[in-house]
Amino acid sequence: MEMSELLNSISEKLQQGKMKDVVALCEQAVAEGNSASDILNALLGGMSVIGVKFKNNEVFVPEVLIAARAMNGGLNVIKSLLVEQGVESKGKVIIGTVKGDLHDIGKNLVSMMMTGAGFEVLDLGVDVPTEKYIAAVEENNPDILCMSALLTTTMPNMKLVIQALEEKGLRDKVKVMVGGAPVTDRFAEEIGADKYSADAASAADEAKKLVEA
Amino acid sequence: MTGKERVLATLNHQKTDRVPWIPFTGVHAGALKGYSATEVLTDSQKLYESLMEAYKLYQPDALPVVFDLQIEAEILGCKLVWADEAPPSVADHPLEETTDLPCECLMPTRESGRIPFVLDVMSKMKASVGDDIALYGLICGPFTLASHLRGNNLFMDMILDEDYVHKLMEFTTTVSLKMVDLYLEAGMDVIAVVDPLVSQISPEHFTELCHESFKTVYDYIRAKGAKSSFFVCGNATRQLEVMCKTGPDSISIDENVDMKSAKEITDSYNIAIGGNIPLTTLMLHGTQQENMKFVVNMLDTLSHDNLIIAPGCDMPYAVPADNSIGIAQAILETDAVREMVKNYEAPKEDIHVELPDYASLERPLVEAFTLDSATCAACTYMMGAMNVAKEHFGDRIDLVEYKFTEKENIARCVKMGVKNLPCVYVNGELKWSSIIPSREELFKTIEGLL
Repeated sequence: MEMSELLNSISEKLQQGKMKDVVALCEQAVAEGNSASDILNALLGGMSVIGVKFKNNEVFVPEVLIAARAMNGGLNVIKSLLVEQGVESKGKVIIGTVKGDLHDIGKNLVSMMMTGAGFEVLDLGVDVPTEKYIAAVEENNPDILCMSALLTTTMPNMKLVIQALEEKGLRDKVKVMVGGAPVTDRFAEEIGADKYSADAASAADEAKKLVEA
Repeated sequence: MTGKERVLATLNHQKTDRVPWIPFTGVHAGALKGYSATEVLTDSQKLYESLMEAYKLYQPDALPVVFDLQIEAEILGCKLVWADEAPPSVADHPLEETTDLPCECLMPTRESGRIPFVLDVMSKMKASVGDDIALYGLICGPFTLASHLRGNNLFMDMILDEDYVHKLMEFTTTVSLKMVDLYLEAGMDVIAVVDPLVSQISPEHFTELCHESFKTVYDYIRAKGAKSSFFVCGNATRQLEVMCKTGPDSISIDENVDMKSAKEITDSYNIAIGGNIPLTTLMLHGTQQENMKFVVNMLDTLSHDNLIIAPGCDMPYAVPADNSIGIAQAILETDAVREMVKNYEAPKEDIHVELPDYASLERPLVEAFTLDSATCAACTYMMGAMNVAKEHFGDRIDLVEYKFTEKENIARCVKMGVKNLPCVYVNGELKWSSIIPSREELFKTIEGLL
């Protein structure tokens, strides 16, 4: 289906990071009777373009953050409508940086890209202890648990979380994704994670594949 | 040439006898002496001992003295969280909720924060090895320092409030200049401006909001008669050109940037380039053979002018010493190591090696496996320790050295399962690897077998 000019400009303004314009255009789209899911797709489409450009080194952290801010502005406008019209999210994601590690840029970018891919994201923040991940999984029953680490010394904490999931009998109920500068495919495999992603946009793509599988 | 002459010649874009090697030992130096990261980043005697051990084992041409990007942030009021095996992290950002500037009264002086500790190690290193190797004083780059102070909001400010970013960068640039003064007074030969976050912003943003700051710092260092380096982390492929335009004497990159294409860019500006041995996959988790092979390959594929071999960034705490020793050997004795790597990988069916019958030896057998005790410092020390034992115990023990330069000895290593060099086996069992045992420990082990 071809997108209307209005929905197209929502996507474009989002890519330019113009929050006020995105909010105004979303309000207009609602007033003109567009469905929440069409507006949502326009927002997610714009964010996905940013994701690809980020992955290709065409835009950088400031542009992504400002686009995400615009996306959140738009999402706020249609939030209640999404519930009313029964539009479901792609799935639920819990994300956090592991214990002992205070780095949050990468984790935030993944969180934004996941939101931009249509997931409901619960961000546990940084320096997240194993028990907190477990409690969040027990409480929210997410489809995916994402862990980030930027230090070789905090990476092993990912393994501890996976072990705790196993001990609690939760491992089969949730997919585990890991990322961060020192993390590799091999490491992800060694610790029994389901997926490693090298960048935020790929993480969102992989998450979609995981829930669709 | 001394290491110092070699590094300074490279930074002056002149010919050298070989490519210089600079291990960014960071907190890893502490691991060599059994000290934690926190100990070596707060106790000058412990860091000094650790750096001297790295100097002894790794035969560097230069060493960074303190590798901690949080020193300035701590002085300016950021809270730090300390770790045993990593440098501290910034836990809060004083300007997160406000677009003020920090008080001018916080500008670093000789007495601020951990500066007395840093200056003390610098003067100790200068006195001990300052004539032999170049010493690097590392400062936190003005952009990363701005992010320590303001947090991730800095990225949004770059689009929403450029004026503020300009003002904050002006402040952090002044901090950088103060640090340059302090470290040059302490005798540093090179000031490295370490700004990992530069790779996270567009070249256009860098030019608009950061260029002036970096140029000011490099011009200042040059005017003071010292050399400069610009360290970046992450995929800085797109930023490299604009980094060159700020005029540092050298740039150092990590494994996320392709060294060959990066060097084409830096060469076009006549700036030296350093890098980019992978930190985690290779130095931390790779074998000694893989490390040597990687470095030989670097030396075989890159032009040697304007080149420095170094890790991508500061080495992880737990890097096996053998891996850095192998890297050093690959740089110092490239031809010999190239042969070793080739012979190690070649099929060994044609070489028959007979291992001793360890179960029925007449006397304790000490077997030292070395890269080459004549050229590899760590191997020389290891062999030296064993020779002392041989002298002491005389005919009561047997001592053999197997140098990795011989094909037969490579085959023997493979058969015995020897992974890292130098190492010592006693009666067929691995006793010491890279870290040379004390005389007491060595004698006790042998006496236990007599």
